[in-house]
Order: sequence, then structure tokens, then C-alpha cells
Amino acid sequence: MYKIEIKTKKMFKNSNAASILEEVKGLSITGVKRVDYSPLYFIDANLTFDEVKKIASELLADQITQEWIITKEKTDTKENVEKKSQGQSFIEVYYKKGVMDAPAESVVKAVKDLGIAKEIKVKTGHRYCFWGDISNEVLEMIAKKILSNNIIQGYKIN
Amino acid sequence: MNTLNCKIIEILNLTDIRLVQLSRDNTLSLSLREMKTLQNYFQKLQRNPTDVELETIAQTWSEHCKHKTLTGHIEYIQEQGNRKTKTKYDNVLKETIFKATTELAKPWCLSVFKDNAGIIEFDNKNAAAFKVETHNHPSALEPYGGSATGIGGVIRDILGVGLGAKPLANTDVFCFGNINLPQDSVPSDIHHPKRIMKGVVSGVRDYGNKMGIPTVNGAVYFDEGYIGNPLVYCGTMGILPKNKIEKTVCPGDLVLLVGGKTGRDGIHGATFSSIRLNKESDVRAVQIGNPIVEKKVLDALLKARDMNLYSALTDCGAGGLSSAVGELGEKTGVKIQLEKVPLKYDGLSPWEIWISEAQERMVLSVPAKNRNKILEIFKQEEVEAVYIGEFTDDKRLILYYNEDVVADIDMEFLHDGIPKPLRAARYKIIHEIRQKPVKISADKIAKSLKAVLSDLNVCSKEWIIRQYDHEVQGQTVIKPLHGSSIEISGPGDASVINPFTIVKGTKKGIVLSCGMNPQYGKINPYKMAASAIEESLRNAVCVGADIEKIALLDNFCWGNTNKPEILGSLIRSMLACYDMSKAFGTPFISGKDSLHNEYSIDGERYSIPSSLLVSAIGIIEDISKTVTMPFKEKGNKVILLGLTRNELGGSIFSKINKIKAGMFPEVFPKESLLIMKKIHEAIGKGIIQACHDLSEGGLAVAASEMAFSSTLGVKINIDAVLCKERIMPAEILFSESNGRFLVEIKHQDFAKFKNIFKKTIYSEIGIVEEENIIFESKKNKILIQESTKDLYEIWTNPLKNL
Repeated sequence: MYKIEIKTKKMFKNSNAASILEEVKGLSITGVKRVDYSPLYFIDANLTFDEVKKIASELLADQITQEWIITKEKTDTKENVEKKSQGQSFIEVYYKKGVMDAPAESVVKAVKDLGIAKEIKVKTGHRYCFWGDISNEVLEMIAKKILSNNIIQGYKIN
Repeated sequence: MNTLNCKIIEILNLTDIRLVQLSRDNTLSLSLREMKTLQNYFQKLQRNPTDVELETIAQTWSEHCKHKTLTGHIEYIQEQGNRKTKTKYDNVLKETIFKATTELAKPWCLSVFKDNAGIIEFDNKNAAAFKVETHNHPSALEPYGGSATGIGGVIRDILGVGLGAKPLANTDVFCFGNINLPQDSVPSDIHHPKRIMKGVVSGVRDYGNKMGIPTVNGAVYFDEGYIGNPLVYCGTMGILPKNKIEKTVCPGDLVLLVGGKTGRDGIHGATFSSIRLNKESDVRAVQIGNPIVEKKVLDALLKARDMNLYSALTDCGAGGLSSAVGELGEKTGVKIQLEKVPLKYDGLSPWEIWISEAQERMVLSVPAKNRNKILEIFKQEEVEAVYIGEFTDDKRLILYYNEDVVADIDMEFLHDGIPKPLRAARYKIIHEIRQKPVKISADKIAKSLKAVLSDLNVCSKEWIIRQYDHEVQGQTVIKPLHGSSIEISGPGDASVINPFTIVKGTKKGIVLSCGMNPQYGKINPYKMAASAIEESLRNAVCVGADIEKIALLDNFCWGNTNKPEILGSLIRSMLACYDMSKAFGTPFISGKDSLHNEYSIDGERYSIPSSLLVSAIGIIEDISKTVTMPFKEKGNKVILLGLTRNELGGSIFSKINKIKAGMFPEVFPKESLLIMKKIHEAIGKGIIQACHDLSEGGLAVAASEMAFSSTLGVKINIDAVLCKERIMPAEILFSESNGRFLVEIKHQDFAKFKNIFKKTIYSEIGIVEEENIIFESKKNKILIQESTKDLYEIWTNPLKNL
């Protein structure tokens, strides 16, 4: 299983993150200084690392405004890994099992169009990074009230 | 019957209590009487039903699919003072709304209340179809997915009307709770109204935009009564050849399922829509849409339609395959191999496959000779298409899973076996009292004007409208926003589509508009319905529609109609629909009701405000003869058409100033119909420069909107306004009387104007100025002068930067 995170390059505005920050302020939460947002793609297939790189760079990331991080889960193989800094908290949001994941379906088709004929399974998710001194309680509230809908999505805080 | 792949449900020997329990435990939403009818049917067959049969019957008999409240028996008692009248209805829909359409018998109405959408004539070869649906409960739970599948579903209604229409435009109307509520005053198990609004708007945006269909018309209403149960109305209008209106299913035709795969999504959506929302709402009712799949289905279908490769089709909406296949095979019979249905994942039981509401699926009836040819078309467009069965001539619904028969039901019992419920309806007409004369200073009037303009129900909805593509397909002639410069966006009355890509060289246009005012329904549902109808017509007429060729759609969203008072208010509004439809000569051609819009907070149950949306569709002969609402030129005359009455009841002004009393706006069809005809004539002759209807906020708001949209000013002489009775300046400015329009006329055209409008009520009340919005009553020594720019800011601010 590969996890691909698509990050907006520092010099470009991430409007998704900006709108989350506004919503956080709307909940009268103080202490959040900055928000980053990256879409996540989990690819379950017998792919080579080069094939995953091709998917990340040619399909999922916009090479001008975005960069990618690939993590091979349950192994130590990582590329472009970013170190967690102090004052950062992460929330990841995923669809629950059985909920239709339309972007994932499009990725499956597009990977075939890229010329990779292997059978693949894809799942999408969202990763939010919050900068500032934020308690777990507040993170829970942000996850529940802004980032996820308990009916179709689950979240992980770390 | 082999039972390897399904369960046999014990029903033959159940007591009444156990029958009710069975219905509740399985989310069947069937009443005891319905369960007993079912029990009798299977007693005659001397066997118990399978789970597939039980689910099929529950879905077919659901409120969502059968509209059993409005097609059932109703005993309606109306009280007015000491007078009580009792009326019995055997099918109130047929006896009110359909009746008006039948009596009006307009030859240009080509298909009414029988297909997925209403169809009217466009020209001698083409027809326009229009449908509006609601997707309220799913949107309360998952606003983004709920609204996206709402718009996706209504687009499929248009794809599935006749032999398929090409969607040309979408409409959307939403009702939300107060988006400015502090988070801690929203119950923990309910999404905050702001979150619901953002999710709903994004859902419609992402689905409509990706489908390449412009969203051109809509409205948004805010009221605290929608906090736990928002309303999401989605509409689609399309065009199809007149010779593709009739469907014919023949025995021997094959059942072709096209589009998305089937999963557990949306199971019990049809029966769920009859259930009140509470914490335990069934999460499987949530659906997520995939517009890319639906776009491919659209392209492939229209290609196959034009090659005459199928004889009938319908969409999989509520009730999934059960509803779609059941409807197509109602008159013939059908047998289906459920194991052939393409699945998203393994493990679905036959009944889940049969009633799943997975999105983006359509069912076609294909003559055997076209078997391979049609598959090629779908293959070219990369749309999955699989034969799952065949239409028969035995009038039975027979479902197989591999070799096993898992359901075998008589079509007649399935479709007509439902016992008609008897419901009680009661309505006590509330006596309206006029408010004390509103004698307020110019300063207070100016403050009220600003408060009304910034009220959520009046302020600019640009934040929403601009998220939608309203130009894609390049046929939107009159768009939803109007202004004299790129920075200015005033509120259009209606939109016009010129379908030139389908009907080459046509000058004709299709106008879409809507009308709604849930505030009026709180006191007077009759006036609410009448006002909604007239507002939708006024809006259409404002841009140039001909009142002689406008058809209407009704969408009733009501609370719990098991309560006689709530059902009574629904009957009152339906009576208004009959009266107004007849009086204006505008037939209803399609509609949908969504009842049981009720939610719980801390154990207390609340019904939503009774909400009737009326959508109008009209044909304009020449799109060059249309007008927009901003003023065009300094110095032009401003004329108010229609009579102003002392009608502040339910108005925004009264809400802001906490005025409890007041007469609710009445509709006077004789007066307004003549005005509407004359406006059409005058627009045709090119003498109306701008036209805007008066609705929420009355004259003060309409005049301000026309001025700030043009960055010009206006000076209105309050004393010149023709009123039914002597009323105060504030009442003249903010009364929401129906039947009124504000028009702009050039001086040199005034003689022609007078000639056209000589038999109507109008008052010459003002002049277009270079700047400033001025309202003056010399008689009452009132002078209000505000800068156009400031009022525009006030109007645009509330829903800016959300």
C-alpha cells in the first residue's frame, strides 16, 4: 500500500486551507496560526516505486504548484518525507468503508490511461496540518464540526 | 420457491403488533393496514414472502413513490369563525392541481403528470421538459452528497423523460436555518446551518458544473424552522424532439441497465423519506454522486436515442431498480436476473441489489434486434451496460438470483394493491388583523430600508450564484445576475435559454423562474400558495415571457401530515393552486411532494414551515425581445404597475420592526393578469427598458435593486403611488402586495405606454437619477436619501466572504 500526499508548494496559496482557517475562526477557536491541506491517495497494488512516482507526479500533482510525498506503508521506504515540527498537529479524514469514493474511481481509470495496466485499488483522504498550540479537545471539535461528517467519514488525529 | 439466496419472512401468522414491529424493524415504513393487506395477499398464495418481495412492496408503496397521502382519502374540515365546512377528497391531487390542468386543456401541454417530467411544446418539432425534485433528508445528514445526488437525480429525470431529453439548465432553491446562530446554540446532533449551506451549495456546484449544465435560476430562504431539516429543491430543464415523447415497452424487449455499479448506498432511501429525522436515522440512506459517470451516460443515451435503438427508458431514482423496472414493466410483466447486475463489491443480498439507490443508473427497454448495436454505443462512451432481464406478457414481476426465484409478485397487486389511507385534515382560517398605522420618521424608514436590504432573505446571493457555471453550453441569454459593470451584480427575475445548439437557427427562448414565501404560510397557506404562483409568473413576465404560454411545477415540502392541522394547511394551499392555475390560465404540468419534514431536538418534535415552491417554464417567441432589471438611462420615467395595498403581514419590514399584526398579501388575478399581458405586449414593442417585480421588501427594495444594479439613482415620489386605501409612507414602501411591477420607460415612449396600459392600474412615481436613491413624500414631510453605492454595499455584505 502506497500513500501519496499532494502538497501545495510554499509560494502558492492553498485556498482549501485558507477556507478551513476561516471556518476555524468562525467557531471562535483561537490559537490556530496556520492551516495546510493536502489530498491523500492510498494505492493498493503491486506497483514499482517508479510507477507510483509516475502516478504522483504525472497524474495527481500539478507540477508547477504542487509537490508529492510517497510513503510505502508498513515499510521504511519513504521519499520526500517531511519532518513533523513542533507546534504542528495533523488530522486525516477518510471515507468509511462502503461509501462511494468517486475521485478514487477516476484515479483507477486515469492510472490505466497512463499506461499502467496492473489491477489497482484506490482510496482517497484529506490531511490537514494545524499550526499553533492546540489541545486535543479543540482538534476533536475541528475534526467533527468542520472537517468530517461522522455519517460517511472517520478521522485520525496525531 | 428456492430460498438459497433470500430469507423467507414469517408474516402469515403474525399478530397486528408483530406486523407493525416487522415494518419498523426493517424500515419498511408501512402502516398496519398496509401490512395486513400484504398478509392477506400472501395468505391467498399460501406462503410467506421473501425479503426481496417484502422490500419490493415496501418501496413501491412508499410515500415517496406512491404519494399515498395526497392520493388517499382525506376528510377535510375547514373552520372560519363559527362556520365549519366538511369536504371529502378521494385524491386531492386529482381534485385540485390535476383538475385545473385538465380543465384548462392547453394544447401546448404535451405530457403532464405521467412521466418523469412535465413537457410543453417548444416549436413544431421540439418540446421542453421541466422537473423539480427535493432531496431534503439526505442533505440534512450529508449536505454535500445529499445535494449533489439531488441534482444528479433530477438530471436523470430529464434524461429519462419520454425517450430522453437533453438537459439545458438546472435550477436550485434552498431553505436553511439561521446561518448566524452561535455554534453552541445548535444541537450537537445537527449540522450548523452554515455548514449545511456550504455543503449543499458545493454539492450542486460540483455536480452541475461537471455535467456541463448551467445552473441559471434559484432562490434561498432562511428561517429558524429549517434548522434540523433543510430543504434542497433541484430542477432540470431539457429539450427533446416531439416524436420522442412516448415510451412503448413491448413483451420480448430486453432490460438493459446502464451507468454506475450497484452498492449498498442509498438503501431505504424511498422508505426513509417518509420517516422523521432523528439521531438514529439510517446511515445507509446517504448517497454519493459521480457526475463523470452521469455525463458519459448522458452522451451515450442521446446518441442511442437518435439512432432509435431503444423503446423506453427511465432512471433509477428512489427505490432503485425496483422502482425503475417495476414502472417500465407495470403493464407487461418482467423477469430479471439479479446476479447479472454489476456490483461495486461482493456480499450484497438480492434484496439489496434490487432496491439499492446507487446513483447514475438508467434502465432501458431494448428491442432484441438492437441488442448488439446499442452495446457498442455504450462501449464507445465507456459506459457499463448489461442486460439483466426481459419484459414479458404475464403481468408478473419475477426476480431470479442465479437459478432461484427470489420474488414472484402480481404487477396489479404491486402497483394497485395498496389500500388507500383515510386521513383527517383540519384547518382553522386565522383572522388577520391590520396593524396600527406605521407612523415612523424618515430616519427610521431609512434604517428599516438598510435592515431589509441586509436581511438574509433579501440580500445578494452572489456568493452562491457565482459558484455555478451559468454560461456553459453558451445558450444562457438572460443570466441570473445583472449589472451595468463587471463589479455589479443585481438580482435577475428569471433566466432565458436559447437552445440554438439543438434547434438550429431558433430565435425562441425558454424562460425559467420561481416563486416561494414560507413566511406567509405560517398564517395563511392559501395566500402563500397564491403568492408563490403569482411571484413565479411575475418573474417570468419581467424578462419577456408570454403569460399565455407558461406552465407551472409544484413542490410541496410539508411537516408531519399525520397531524390534521398540518395536512389541513396543505389542502388549503392546494385549493389556492387550483384557483390560481385556473385564474391565470397557467396549468401545472409536474410536481412532487415531500411530506414528513420533521426533526427532533432534545426529544421535542418540530415540523418545518410549510413550504411550497412554484417553478415556472415559459416560451419566448423572440429572445431579442427580452429585458433585464437594472435601470438603463438617467432621466427615464419609473412607473409602478399595479395597486398597493396595506399588506405588511409576513413582510420583512414587519419582522425587522417586530410588528405582529398585518394583512397578508392577497392575489387579485384579474388585475395582475391584465398587467402581465400588457407587459408582454410592451416588451414586444420595445418600450420597456427595465422591469422588476415587487416581492420581499416591496417597492423600497425593488426600486433600490434596479438603481444599484445600474449604478444609477432613482427618485420615487411616495405620494404618487396609487393605493387601495390611505396608508402611511412606510407601509407604501414596504408592503409586499402582489401584482406589482416597476418599469422604466423613455419619455418619448410614454404616449405609447399609456395607450397599451390604459385599462390597467399604474402610477407614474419617479425618475431615474444619476446617483442617490431617494424616496420622498411631501405630504408627510418624509425625505430619504441614500447613496446608491452604500445601499449596494449593504445588500451585498451579508453573504460575502463566507
